[in-house]
Amino acid sequence: MIYIIDHKDSFTHNIVHQFSNFTDVECSNFNNLNQKKLDKAKTIVFSPGPGSPKDYPHSAKIYNRYKGKKKIIGICLGFQQILYCEKAKIVEQNKIYHGFQSEVKVTSKNSLFRKNQKFKVGRYHSLKLKEPFYAKDFEITMRCAISNVAMAIENNKEKIYGFQFHPESFLTENGNLFIKKILST
Amino acid sequence: MTTQDYLKTISKSKKPFVIYKSNKGYDLYTDFSKKVILTNKNINNFIKNINKNKSKRNNTDLYIGFFGYEILNNLIGVKLQKQKGLKFPKGIFYKPETKINLSNKLNYKPLKLAKSNKIFKINLNKASYENIFNKFIKKIKSGETYQIKICTKYKNSSQVDSLDFFCRLTKSNMAPEAFMIKDKNYSIISCSPENLITKRNDIITTKPIAGTLKKSKKLNKTKALAFFKKNLKETKEHNMIVDMERSDLSKICKPGTVKIIKKKIVEEYKDLYHYVSLIAGKLKKNISTLDIIKGMMPGGSVIGCPKISTLNLLNAQEKESRNIYTGSFGYIKFNGDMRFNIIIRSILNYRNNSEISVASGVVIDSNANHEFNENYIKAKALMDLYK
Repeated sequence: MIYIIDHKDSFTHNIVHQFSNFTDVECSNFNNLNQKKLDKAKTIVFSPGPGSPKDYPHSAKIYNRYKGKKKIIGICLGFQQILYCEKAKIVEQNKIYHGFQSEVKVTSKNSLFRKNQKFKVGRYHSLKLKEPFYAKDFEITMRCAISNVAMAIENNKEKIYGFQFHPESFLTENGNLFIKKILST
Repeated sequence: MTTQDYLKTISKSKKPFVIYKSNKGYDLYTDFSKKVILTNKNINNFIKNINKNKSKRNNTDLYIGFFGYEILNNLIGVKLQKQKGLKFPKGIFYKPETKINLSNKLNYKPLKLAKSNKIFKINLNKASYENIFNKFIKKIKSGETYQIKICTKYKNSSQVDSLDFFCRLTKSNMAPEAFMIKDKNYSIISCSPENLITKRNDIITTKPIAGTLKKSKKLNKTKALAFFKKNLKETKEHNMIVDMERSDLSKICKPGTVKIIKKKIVEEYKDLYHYVSLIAGKLKKNISTLDIIKGMMPGGSVIGCPKISTLNLLNAQEKESRNIYTGSFGYIKFNGDMRFNIIIRSILNYRNNSEISVASGVVIDSNANHEFNENYIKAKALMDLYK
């Protein structure tokens, strides 16, 4: 079972439906979690949402408690949340992407995805990862083909994955592929 | 009786009535046996009990009316500060006993001429609009909202013949979700183009609009589509709304059933081109009418995105009640089927005060001056009726 922690976003239920293609899904608000079900879940997903990771200290606690014990996936704000918990700085960007389709490129040979492969994806983010960023076992594996902004991270040792873009958006081509690959590791 | 004769009769009779655009023409509902004024206390039970009514298998087995903006916020747990305004009811529904089909040509001669103060007062001048606009741009940069719609109001004092207004409005703009309500102390007329909910059996659809273009001799449907596709700002706004409406439907629909039936197409109306999408889904078992209303309302395309955080930003800013504006008008049948629009492009007249509310979307690449003027153009089409 997958537990999706919703940050009051207007895209979360697209993610619920996308993950439901592969397994059972539970979803509830970040301030109204079911501890028993959370303990039972194999995978925890941090949803997109408004604001910045520092606005959600409760979700940071969840991350720190389950890191290395369960598979963790973060999308958009959730992606930033993982990075924030790994001591990264999340900052405003000059050019903002809301409802924007752009191309991302796999930049690492250690990725679950083939290096140099390109994908068309939907983006909804005001903030971005400030680089350079280093954290043990983490690697930036995808970047925006134009601006080079970090678009995906993978920690294949502890099974932590994050996308800055939205695999569930109708703007993302073959969005299910991303989820399928990550769930099958 | 012809449509023209019927309109004359109903107007003379002074009976309350409702008119709603149908596929072939207009439906007129009257002879109301019940009138429910909604409050935060009675709304849950009102909605829950509609489906408990025994169907008499006739075409008036329904409640028709509107939900205002505030009550829809409260229904999903979003609170508003104390606001100024007309103190207009938060929602009103009627049980009709008569339904009449009218043709598309609504001809009507007013019984007496409207008395109105032709000068409208605006509640936000350009400077204060810009001030709010800049605040919201900051909120977009910090990620608290991705798109937000600032509401401005135009008001005057006037006695109007609402049926005359509505008939003239439908002549220049035959909008697919147009409606009017005439009751003793208030009237609403609207040329809303936007359907928020159409539900039949377990199939539900929503048809968001983001992008409008006025017709001109140089334009045709193909060129309008090219315009929308090329316009990055319109495209991004539209994309956002499509993903948000997919998500709202996904809350109440079975996994795997939410589909974009029409993706970013142009629809042609009498005076306008609209950039629309149509999204459909199959409802989960045990989803109630109340679940559907809470899941879909207030309609996202006229609020912004993400919905809850954007509503909170708007409500902290807006000092004056939106009343009906960005609420929903429509009906709920005893069998659970329903149809609701989003109330925009409307005039509310209450106790001889008229108000016209308009809004346009602020996204990162919006321009305050342009949006302010855009609002004026939207309001002007309705203010012209007072001439």
